[in-house]
Amino acid sequence: MRRPLPHPVSALVLALALGSGSLVAAPAPQLDRATLAVHRAQQPQRIIQAQAHFASLRAQFGLGEGDAFVARHAFTNPEGEAIVRLEQTHDGHRVWGGQAVAHVLPEGGIRTITTSVRTSVALQGEPQLSGDRALRIALAHLAPKGPMKDAPQVERVVFPAQFLGGLASKLDGTGRPVLDRSMSVTAKLDAPYVWAYEVRTRLHNREDGTKELTYLIDGNTGKILRIQDMVQHLEPAQGSGTGFYRGAVTLNTTLANDGTYLLMDTTRGTRTNQFVSGYQADPSATGWSPDIPALQVWFHQNDSDGNYTWMDGLFQTPVGVTTWGDGLPFTAWGQEGGINGQTVGVDAMSAMTTTWDFYKNIFGRDGMDGQGTAVAANVLNNFASPSWDSRDNASWSTWGQYIDLGAGSYPANPKGFQSMADLDVIAHEMTHGVTNPSQSHYWVNSAGYEEAGLNEAVSDFFAQMVKAYSTRTPGEDSVIPDTDGADWQIGKNVGHGTPLRWLDKPSLDERSVDGWFDGIKYMDGHFSAGPLNRAFYFLANGASSTPGSASYSPYLPGGMTGIGNDAAARIIYKAITEFLVGDGTGTITFQRVREACEQAAWYKGYYSEGTPAVRNAFAAANIGDAHNQTTPRTQVRFADFRHDDYIESTHFSDYSTRQVFPKGETVVPRITVLNNSNTAVTWSLGGPSMFNGADQNISKGGVINADGSWTTPNVMAWHSITATSQADPKQFAEGRVFLIGMDTDMDGEVDALDMAGVSVSWYLWGALNPAHSVFEAPLVDDDDVAFFVDAMKSTWPVK
Amino acid sequence: MRTRSLSLVLSALVLSLAIACGGGSSSTPSGSTPSAPPATGLIYTNPTGTGWRLVKDASSTPTRVILNLVGPSDLKTRGVGFNLQAPATIKFGAFTNGMAINEGGVYQLLSAGSADPSEPIALIGGVKAGNLLTAGIFQKDRSQPAQDSGTTLCQIAVLFDATKGLHAGDKLPLQITKAKVIPEDIGTITDDLLTLDKKMKMADITIAVGSLTAN
Repeated sequence: MRRPLPHPVSALVLALALGSGSLVAAPAPQLDRATLAVHRAQQPQRIIQAQAHFASLRAQFGLGEGDAFVARHAFTNPEGEAIVRLEQTHDGHRVWGGQAVAHVLPEGGIRTITTSVRTSVALQGEPQLSGDRALRIALAHLAPKGPMKDAPQVERVVFPAQFLGGLASKLDGTGRPVLDRSMSVTAKLDAPYVWAYEVRTRLHNREDGTKELTYLIDGNTGKILRIQDMVQHLEPAQGSGTGFYRGAVTLNTTLANDGTYLLMDTTRGTRTNQFVSGYQADPSATGWSPDIPALQVWFHQNDSDGNYTWMDGLFQTPVGVTTWGDGLPFTAWGQEGGINGQTVGVDAMSAMTTTWDFYKNIFGRDGMDGQGTAVAANVLNNFASPSWDSRDNASWSTWGQYIDLGAGSYPANPKGFQSMADLDVIAHEMTHGVTNPSQSHYWVNSAGYEEAGLNEAVSDFFAQMVKAYSTRTPGEDSVIPDTDGADWQIGKNVGHGTPLRWLDKPSLDERSVDGWFDGIKYMDGHFSAGPLNRAFYFLANGASSTPGSASYSPYLPGGMTGIGNDAAARIIYKAITEFLVGDGTGTITFQRVREACEQAAWYKGYYSEGTPAVRNAFAAANIGDAHNQTTPRTQVRFADFRHDDYIESTHFSDYSTRQVFPKGETVVPRITVLNNSNTAVTWSLGGPSMFNGADQNISKGGVINADGSWTTPNVMAWHSITATSQADPKQFAEGRVFLIGMDTDMDGEVDALDMAGVSVSWYLWGALNPAHSVFEAPLVDDDDVAFFVDAMKSTWPVK
Repeated sequence: MRTRSLSLVLSALVLSLAIACGGGSSSTPSGSTPSAPPATGLIYTNPTGTGWRLVKDASSTPTRVILNLVGPSDLKTRGVGFNLQAPATIKFGAFTNGMAINEGGVYQLLSAGSADPSEPIALIGGVKAGNLLTAGIFQKDRSQPAQDSGTTLCQIAVLFDATKGLHAGDKLPLQITKAKVIPEDIGTITDDLLTLDKKMKMADITIAVGSLTAN
C-alpha cells in the first residue's frame, strides 16, 4: 500500500501543526528492523536531547530559569524518530495543560509541537492553602457516601486562568441537554496563572456508583476552578455479550496453584493493572496477586435478583477444567462466575487480546498506554440507579486502565442491549486508553469541546479497524485487510441488529450530524463525532458521487477514492500519537485534526495519493476545503453572541463571555458569514445540539424577529438558534445559551434592581421567594449573583 | 405633567425653526438654535436638595461627566438601584470593571470576613434598548451592617458623542424612571417567615437629577 512520495507539504499546514520553533524536514524513509533497533537504543539520549532543546527555547516563550520541560513518555516510530512528550513545569510544579512534543530525528534535528506550551508563566508567592485543605474542599464537593476506591491524589500545579471552567451540561433521560450545576464552575480569576491543586478522586462503591472526578482547586481562595470527568463512557449505551458473540475461540489462561484456571493472560502486559490493585492477593490457594501483570477478566457479583453486591470476582474454572463458557446469553444471576457467566468472560478476553495484538502488530504499541500496562475488564455490571444505569453501557477508566462492561438490560427491556462484551465495544473502550494514556495526557470528553467528538470518533474508527483485523488471513498480522470485518457500525450485535452509530452516514442514528458546523461542540461527543467518523470512513473507503447513496456527501458531490483501511489507519494513528497534543484542555478542533492527518499522510509517504485523499475526506465532512479547491467555502459563525462554555483566554478576568441570557427578553445575536459576499442568513429556532428525545422534538423556544433579534422563551433551560447561509444553505451555525430567570421582583421588567431580590435572599434558607433564584432553585448563593451579572453584561453591554 | 407640556412647546419651536431655515435632512436637537456652534462637551448642573441625588464628580471632564449617587445623610441602607432614561444623543460610559456603574466603596459587597477578590458581588449596570441605563449596587450578606447613605454610593458616566450633531445649548434631559433601595431593616433570620417576607422588600425613593446641556 505504500507509495513513493515526495511533494513538500504546504507551509501553512506545517506552521499550524508544529507551532513556533519548528523545523521543516524531508519525509523520513521507512527503516529495516536492524536500523530501527539502533535508533530505539538511542531513545534515552534523545529524550535528554529533547529536554535540552526545550530548555533552550524558554526565552522564546517568555519563560525563565524556573521553567522546565520534563519528558513523561517516549517511543520510537517506524521512521526511527524518537517522539518525546514533555510536561511543562514551573518551580518544579506541573503547569496544568502545559505540554510539548519533540520529534528527535535520526539525522539529529528536532521538530517541535509547541501549541500547548503556556507562555510567560509567573506567580506571586506560595499557595496559602495546603494540599490537605484542597483535598477537603474537593471531597466536600464530591460528597462521597461510601468509601473511596483509591486514596485521592493531590498535586500542586500551576493553573492557567484561560482554562477556568464554566457552564456544564448533561443529557437528561430524554437525551436533551440540561444544565449540570454540580459540574459548573463560577469562580473568577484576575491573574493569568494561579497556584492550584489537582485532586484526583475515584469512587466505586454501592452508594456512589463509579465516579472519577478530577478537581482543580485554587491554592489561595479554595475555589473550584475546573472539574473534569475522567471516565470515558460509551454513552448512551453499548454492550457486548458472552462467548456468545465470539463463538469458539482459543484463550490464554493461567493455571493456578490449586489446579484451577484463571481467566488471566500473562503473555500480554508487563506492568501491573491499577484496577485490581485494591484486591487481596491469594497466595495460599490460587497464587493470584495484583502484582502479576496480565490481561484479566473479572465479573460483578450480583445476587439472584441481579442486584450488584459490590463484590467482584476473577473468572475461574474448577480443577482441571480448561473449557470456558456455554455460548448462551447470560441469565444466571447470582452465579456470574459459573459456566454461563464465563461466556461473557470469553467474549471479553478474546476481544481484549485481539485489540491488544492489533495495536502491537500494526503499530508496535505495547499496551494501551504504550508502556505495557495490563488491562483488566469487569463484566456483567447490572448496577442501575436513578442517576446512572450501567447495564447498557461500557466505560474506560483512565486511572484504573480497565473496562467496565454492562450486563445489558435486553430482553427485559426491549430497547436495551445485550451483554456489552462484544469486540467493537471493547476495542472502542481500549482505544480510549491509547488516546488517554495517563491522567495528564488525555483528551477532554465533555460536551462543550470539539475534542470530545475526536475522542469518540477515534475510538469508533479503530474499533472498525480491529474488527477488520480480526478477519485477517492467518499469518498476515502486519496489515489491516480491506474486508467486510469492518461493517462501519458500532454496536450492531449488542443492539440485537440495530447499531448505535454508523460511521459512513452518522445521521442515520437521528442524533449525529454528517458535517461540521460552528456550534457542533455543544453536542455530546458521541454525536459530534459524526463528521470525523465520516471523514475517516471516506479516507479508507471513499465517497460516492451518487446522491442518495449512504456514502454520498453534498460537501464533495464528485466523490472520492479511498486509500484502504491499512493506509487510513496508519495516517490517523500517526496523527493522534505524534501530531496532536492531548493536554486535557479541550483545545483540539476538527480543523486541527485535519491538519495533523495531512501532515501524517505526508510523513508516511502517501503524499501523492494520501494527502489529497485526506483533504477530500475531511472536506466531504465539511471540515475545510477540498483538494485544489480554489474558492474557499462559505462559513457561518456566531460572533460575540455566544462564546465558549469556558472563559476565553483574553477575558480571564471578565465574566462577560459566559453564554447566559435572561429568559423572556429580546437579545440581538450577531453572525459572521465568511468567504461570501452574500452575508444574508436565515434564522431559525433550535439546533442540532438540542435533541429532545426519540421523537426528534427539538426545543424551539421563543421568537426570531424579522430583524434577526431573538425574543427568548420564558423557560429556564438551554436554548439554541440557528443561522443558515442564504448563499449556501449547507452552511450554518448554532448558537446556544442558557436562559435564567432575572425578574426577581416580578414587576415585569428585567433590570439591575432585580439584583436586590437575589441579594436579600442570599443564603437565606426558608424565607426564599422562588423567584429570587435565577435557577428557580430553593437557595440563592453566589452562583445566582455571578449568573445574574453575566446575563446582564451579555444582554445589555455598555457599547 | 409639567415636563410633558414643556416638551411639547420645545418640539413645536424646533419644528418651526427648522422650517424657517429651509429644512435640513437632520432634525435639530431640542433647545438649540441653528446658529449655535457645534458642541464639544457637556455641562452638568447639580440638583438642589439633600435627598437622593446625582451630583457631578470632581474628576469629570467636558466629554465624560461622572455622576455620583448620594443619599440622605441620616439614612442607612443596604443597596440602591435605579433606571435612568437619557436621550439618544449621549452615551453612557463604562468604568474599568467593564460596566456602566462603579462602586463608591461604601457598601460592603463581599460576604462578612471574606477577603476573596474573586467572590461574585452584586454590582451591575447595563444599557437597555432606548438608551435606558439600569444600575444597581447591593450588599448581599445580611450580616453586613447597613451603611450611611450620605456619601457617594456609586458612580455612572455620561459621555459626549461628537457624532450626534449636538449644538451648544442643547438640553439633554435625564429622567429617573425607577429607583429603589434595600432598607436597613430587612428582618432577621429569627423572625417568623411571614414577618421576614414582609420586610424583605425594596423601598421606593426619588432621585433628583440635575440638568445636562451640550456645550
